[in-house]
Amino acid sequence: MSQRDEIPPGTLYMLILKTLARQGEMHGYEIANSIQQISEDVLQVEEGSLYPALQRMLVKGWVKAEWGTTAGNRRARYYHLTPLGRRQLALEVSKYERVAAAIARVLQPA
Amino acid sequence: MEGLNRLIRRLGMLLRREQFDRDLHDEMRLHLDLRQQEQIERGLSPEDARFAAQRRFGNPALLREISGDAWGWRGLEHLGQDLRYGARELLRTPGFTAVAVLALALGIGANTAIYSVVNAVLLRPLGYKDANRLVTILNDGTDPVAPANYIDWRDQSRSFEVMGAAEYWSPNLTDSDPSQSNPPEHLYGLQVTQNLLPMLGIDPALGRIFIPGEDRKGSEHEVVLSDRLWARRSNRDPNILGKMITLNGHGYTVIGIMPPEFKFPPFWATRAELWVPLALGDSLHDRDVNTLRVFARVKRDVTLGQARADIATITGRLEREYPGTNRDVVVTPLKENVVGKIETPLLMMLGAVGFILLIACANVAHMLLARISDRQKEIAVRTVLGAGRTRVISQFLTESLLLAALGALAGLLLALWGTKVLVKLSPAYIPRVETVAIDAHVLLFLLGVTLLTAIVFGLAPAMHATAGDLNGALKEGGRGESDSIRRNRLRSFLVASEFALAFMLLIGAGLMIRSFFALQSIDPGFNPHNVLSMIVSVSGTNEAEPGRRAMFYPELMQKVRALPGVRSAGGINHLPLAGDTWGLSFTIEGRPKPRPGESPEAVYRIIMPGYFETMRLPLLRGRTITSNDDARSPGVVIINERAAHEYWPGQDPIGERITFDDDKRNPPTWLTVIGVVKNAKQEDWVSKPYPEVYLAALQNPDFMGYGGSPIAPHMAYLTLVVRADGKATGIASAVKRAVWSFDRNLPISEVLTMDQVVADATAQPRFEMLLFALFGAVALVLAAVGIYGVMNYSVSRRTREIGIRISLGASRAAVLGMVARQGMTQALAGTAVGLASAVLLSQLMRKLLYGVRPTDPITFGGVAIVLGLTALVATSVPARKATRIEPMTALRNE
Repeated sequence: MSQRDEIPPGTLYMLILKTLARQGEMHGYEIANSIQQISEDVLQVEEGSLYPALQRMLVKGWVKAEWGTTAGNRRARYYHLTPLGRRQLALEVSKYERVAAAIARVLQPA
Repeated sequence: MEGLNRLIRRLGMLLRREQFDRDLHDEMRLHLDLRQQEQIERGLSPEDARFAAQRRFGNPALLREISGDAWGWRGLEHLGQDLRYGARELLRTPGFTAVAVLALALGIGANTAIYSVVNAVLLRPLGYKDANRLVTILNDGTDPVAPANYIDWRDQSRSFEVMGAAEYWSPNLTDSDPSQSNPPEHLYGLQVTQNLLPMLGIDPALGRIFIPGEDRKGSEHEVVLSDRLWARRSNRDPNILGKMITLNGHGYTVIGIMPPEFKFPPFWATRAELWVPLALGDSLHDRDVNTLRVFARVKRDVTLGQARADIATITGRLEREYPGTNRDVVVTPLKENVVGKIETPLLMMLGAVGFILLIACANVAHMLLARISDRQKEIAVRTVLGAGRTRVISQFLTESLLLAALGALAGLLLALWGTKVLVKLSPAYIPRVETVAIDAHVLLFLLGVTLLTAIVFGLAPAMHATAGDLNGALKEGGRGESDSIRRNRLRSFLVASEFALAFMLLIGAGLMIRSFFALQSIDPGFNPHNVLSMIVSVSGTNEAEPGRRAMFYPELMQKVRALPGVRSAGGINHLPLAGDTWGLSFTIEGRPKPRPGESPEAVYRIIMPGYFETMRLPLLRGRTITSNDDARSPGVVIINERAAHEYWPGQDPIGERITFDDDKRNPPTWLTVIGVVKNAKQEDWVSKPYPEVYLAALQNPDFMGYGGSPIAPHMAYLTLVVRADGKATGIASAVKRAVWSFDRNLPISEVLTMDQVVADATAQPRFEMLLFALFGAVALVLAAVGIYGVMNYSVSRRTREIGIRISLGASRAAVLGMVARQGMTQALAGTAVGLASAVLLSQLMRKLLYGVRPTDPITFGGVAIVLGLTALVATSVPARKATRIEPMTALRNE
């Protein structure tokens, strides 16, 4: 099995938001798989922890959920972004970039 | 706006809670299924695939809970769950629940009841405006003062807004109402200076109160009535203002009615229900006869200390000017005079019921502890399933809270009933006891006590339940050895504390009982059995005329003596223990004039012939007063033993002469000492008797209403005392008929047997003793139940161990000894701690005790024996059960 890294704390929201922004509507399992595939299996989502995060985002109004049916004909909850979620994604990304840039500067060989 | 939306979303979730859980469950299920499917496709067996999916997912139950938490209703939800769960648990073990609720109800109920009394009597402010600024200025704090002193204090002091005075007045009301349904009545009231009622800041319900100037000559015939009197005598006649009522034969105009809750004075003459202006008149310059109670309102910016210093300066100056007249003047907050006598006993009672509650808590705590031991496995399982320690503790606390709430509910019922009984039982001496009620303050107290109780008895067991070793608990089914030891230690501590607390309470009860018996054995000096007394007053009636009065009372005595069943009869102005006690200074013939303030003083009583015989008050020397000692014969006086010792030490007082007249009267009226009687009780039950003198009514012109000396200027009534052949109550109606055969308008009041009078005099200690004895008994029962429960539990837990011991050859006696020893060790340890604490705490009771030291060895020894025996009996039942354990059955059952 390839080396897997934990998602840095605080970035789970951003990843979910970005994933949903890219793909539109998804259910939880798809979100988890999508994050892993896109990160080429490097980032590992503690799969269960996705759900409390999604609930918190529902409370905050960043995402909305609707029930639908999967390809395998099973009931699933599909999440999609709200305008508020889109704004939040922009906020999170710019914050992340600021932090990442700062860290990169520190790590640069002098 | 977004905040509001969020709240709406959250509320929606709360309402669809079950749907929410189902959704979350389905969602996760789907996730796991899909993951499992994926793993199978990669070649894993279905079983391995599921494990892999579960490992990657985490603990679904925990995750579901965290997801729910996101919505912020966690506390509420847990509470709901815990309550449901707790209720189920309590219902599952109805026996435990019943015993625990009962113990808590006793503790909480007793606390609520006593607190409601404390609240009404001690804490609630007196019913006057800014009552905390009202003070009394009295001799020795409670005794009346002379008018001239009052005037000087009033005029010279600078610390008071107002200073007023009052004098006790008990007139006869002789009008009949139109319907003739109200007989003449002997009333209790006050004569007050004009500023006194306004000082209290309470407006009348009807009409007006006195205005300045009214106690000056000319307008003294106005009266303010209490609501009660207004209701009783005139059926709340709304047109009563301006009408006349006849008091002691004089017309008084009704000018105002006070509101129903108004009471004044709040101490001393508490039965007052009418107020008339006080006309000081000629007594204005009197510094010797103490007749007034002085009340004052301290200025807003003046402290009590400053007011006291002010009065001290003035009285110091007056004392130098008129020695012996201003010696022990004390400024006391009014409230202190009201609650002074009852404060200590009430606070002690509050402490005692606090102890009872603690015992109840300890009881419930070790019952819970036992239950928790049985539920060890359940706790472990819940912890494994993701319940945090605080979560488990809060679950147990909720259960405790539920238990405490049930206890509080039952306790409230108990308190409602208890306060009623308490008020009914309470002797008249408790001020404001009629206002005792379960009000908002009491309910708040109840709430606080309940919460505190739940924490006290619930926290320790809950902490213990969760501190254990998880694996051990799961493996052994809740029998982790280290745990048991720790928990046993806690249990032993609880039992020991119960015994310590019970010991202290029983010491309190024991001391009160011993003190009460010491009080009971006091000799009142007279024999109260079979004696009936009643006040017959004449003012305002035909018998009041001076000439007529001198005939009326002797004729009445004759008539009463002739009644069947009457052994003897006599009369006195003020009955010992029930009536007032008035003092006067006198001069002994042939002695040098004493320095001011150092003249001989004595309580004086005025009697009709037959008084000593009827009361069986023994004459020690000389002769008694007879009907021959009348207005025509030389004046005589009988003194008590104390007076003989005090004023004629080592001499024979018989034949000596004294006078109550001052030097201005020349020649004075000399009274010859003709006899010495035994000391009789005077004002109260425990005080040592003062010197006392008995004067003959028949030769006292003032008593008969036509004299002019300082003695008894208003006397218009007499207390009849009658000794019956049998029970005193049996002759009451015959005696009353005899009185009314002279005049149907003669008011009769205070019909009492002397036994009642004596009982009333010891009513406060009796009441206190009863309550403390009750508290002690409750404590004893709770402690016994406690040790029984713990030992019983311990034996049932050790069945296997005891079975092994027996099968290995331990004798039944050895087993009995082992179990009993364990129980007794706990009880005795507690008793030892209780003993040490009781030695210290009983000092607080010193004020409540009579004739017994706080460290009375008999009480301490007795209580130790009682508690020891209780522990032995309570332990012996489980111990005997242990000896009956069948080794084989015990081992098989494990």
